[in-house]
Amino acid sequence: MQLALVGVSHKTAPVEVRERLAFNSETLRDALTSLVRRQDIHEAIILSTCNRVEVMAESPDDRLIREFLCEFHQIPHESVSQHLYSFRNADAIRHVFRVAASLDSMMVGEPQILGQVKEAYRVATDAGTVGMHLSALMTRAFAVAKKVRSETGISQSAVSVSFAAVELARKIFGDLTGKTVMIIGASKMGELAAKHLKRNGVSSVLVTNRTFERAVELAKVFEGAAVPFEHFTDHMAGADIVISSTGAPHFIISKTLAEQVIHRRKNKPMFFIDIAVPRDIDPGVNEIDNAFLYDIDDLQQVIDSNLKERMKEASRAEEIVDSEVQAFCLKMQSREVVPTIVQMRDSLERLRREEIERNRRHLKDLSPEGQAAVDQITRSLVNKILHTPTEYLKQMAQDPSGPEVADLIRKIFNVKTPE
Amino acid sequence: MLHVVLLRLALGLYSVGLAHSVLTALNRKQTLFRPALYAVMGGFVLQVSAIVLRAAEVHYLPLTQRYEAFSFFGALATLGFLIAHLKYRIEPLSVFAFPLIFVMTFIANLFYDPSSAIPQSLRSHWIYIHIPMVFLGYAALFIAFTAAIMYLIQERALKSKHPVRFYNWLPSLDICDDLAYRSLAIGFPLITLGIITGALWAEGAGVVWERDPKVLFSFLTWFVYLLLIFYRLIAGWRGRKAAYLYIVGFIGVLVTFLGVGGIHSFNQ
Repeated sequence: MQLALVGVSHKTAPVEVRERLAFNSETLRDALTSLVRRQDIHEAIILSTCNRVEVMAESPDDRLIREFLCEFHQIPHESVSQHLYSFRNADAIRHVFRVAASLDSMMVGEPQILGQVKEAYRVATDAGTVGMHLSALMTRAFAVAKKVRSETGISQSAVSVSFAAVELARKIFGDLTGKTVMIIGASKMGELAAKHLKRNGVSSVLVTNRTFERAVELAKVFEGAAVPFEHFTDHMAGADIVISSTGAPHFIISKTLAEQVIHRRKNKPMFFIDIAVPRDIDPGVNEIDNAFLYDIDDLQQVIDSNLKERMKEASRAEEIVDSEVQAFCLKMQSREVVPTIVQMRDSLERLRREEIERNRRHLKDLSPEGQAAVDQITRSLVNKILHTPTEYLKQMAQDPSGPEVADLIRKIFNVKTPE
Repeated sequence: MLHVVLLRLALGLYSVGLAHSVLTALNRKQTLFRPALYAVMGGFVLQVSAIVLRAAEVHYLPLTQRYEAFSFFGALATLGFLIAHLKYRIEPLSVFAFPLIFVMTFIANLFYDPSSAIPQSLRSHWIYIHIPMVFLGYAALFIAFTAAIMYLIQERALKSKHPVRFYNWLPSLDICDDLAYRSLAIGFPLITLGIITGALWAEGAGVVWERDPKVLFSFLTWFVYLLLIFYRLIAGWRGRKAAYLYIVGFIGVLVTFLGVGGIHSFNQ
């Protein structure tokens, strides 16, 4: 197997370049079929997302793919060559594994990329441009991605404000089903956080805003209830989570108010999320037992430490990928040389049997022990003869000249080309 | 003595649980949980067999020696953990439970005394009710205690806004609180009954039990738990303060059980 991979990603090219090289669902199929029609390109898969465009192929030369990319998009090669990266064989395998495991993503550990790789594989399979090599590679890549996900914490923690809010709420309440969220003020970020909470099980939403109409409007979006701003404190005891993002210049929820509300709730825990600047909620609220207050900086801090944790996990993931690449290369190599080794062995074994058969007449006079000894001697001779070429073949399988060596050995031992 | 061998084997299996706890605390990530869980289950079976064999040997509920009492408590703590695990599947619970199980069984192994003489004062059918009640209660209260510890760790992480350390493998505050309260709801009636049966037993045997330190401590402990339940029902007490009381209560349990000697002063 000879693998070549050529691509651009957010790491090597600005969006202006990526969009020029991108494929859409209409052009993808044509591109795939015209790729494999070219000489020396046998199998191909194209991954085209907003962050990367990559062509991987079973082909001895990555330049063929570069040529194809430029011709297909009618771009002069000079204008993109500096952005394109190429990998061959083991490096290409590593790159595919890293991409599928989300180690090469802009947001390391984000889960979407695996779905996109699977989709690219599906499209290529439908177009009939995937053969046994790429299919083996992709199947392994999916398994590696799964392994990385389950054995490292790379995609465990939240790295956006709204996800961090959901994650923290889960740490307080466990299951969010049946919980109520109150949105104070109508900012985009508050809305987004509420949306994520709702998607994660929060069942009712209360909205309050200085302009009541805006509250009604937003309540409609969440199928919740609007509360007049003058009375919102009366309803607060019913809310488990409070998201505040008003433009008020001073605190609208004081420590005393929060204490009263918690008391009215019979100490059931409350989660305050203050995403307003200047802040809406007195920081002292966090000191109250069963009240948890996070302002925008706190959330950012959670995200930052999650990111750091991710980076640590990413280096563990790289180790997994490394060992997987090695294992896959070995498997592929042995898959290529094993047929030759088997044929060599078969052919010599046949010779040995024929010789013994031919000399059966003389062998008959020997004692049974003698006959067994002859059998043993010839066997070990065959093994000894085969030992060096076998080892050499295995060794050379990793070398670019591997196929030639295999060919030469087949000629020497007079065995046919496999397939 | 086959039961001693079985108990040592159980201890060996429990040490896998201990290793799990240590590694998890060091790695800040559940390590070796599955093997440890199976080892502890196996250890539990061996320990129960050991207790049954010992019972057959002395023809009595094997609880009159320290060896027996600690082993019995170790087995009940394991039982408590296994039940809580089946119900809640909180793997971090094991981090706290496995070392206790190991220590109890280890102490049991230290105190083995081959004599099977039973003090006259302990020969009563009350022993079949009093001690299992008390020990089952203790096991439940131990689970409540670990839940409270987990609550405090998680609460501190959340309040400090640096919730990375134990954050990901500890259960939510709600689950910790629920587990603690439910365990209390099981443990409290059991120790209440334990105290009542103990009083009836002592009264029947005609001993002066009111001044026994074990009895005094168990009253104090019982009162702490009573307070906890009372405030929970009246004022919805929960959270940090409640967690502290769970811990105080369990310290009371430990003092009652360990500090004031294996058996009541009037039995020595």
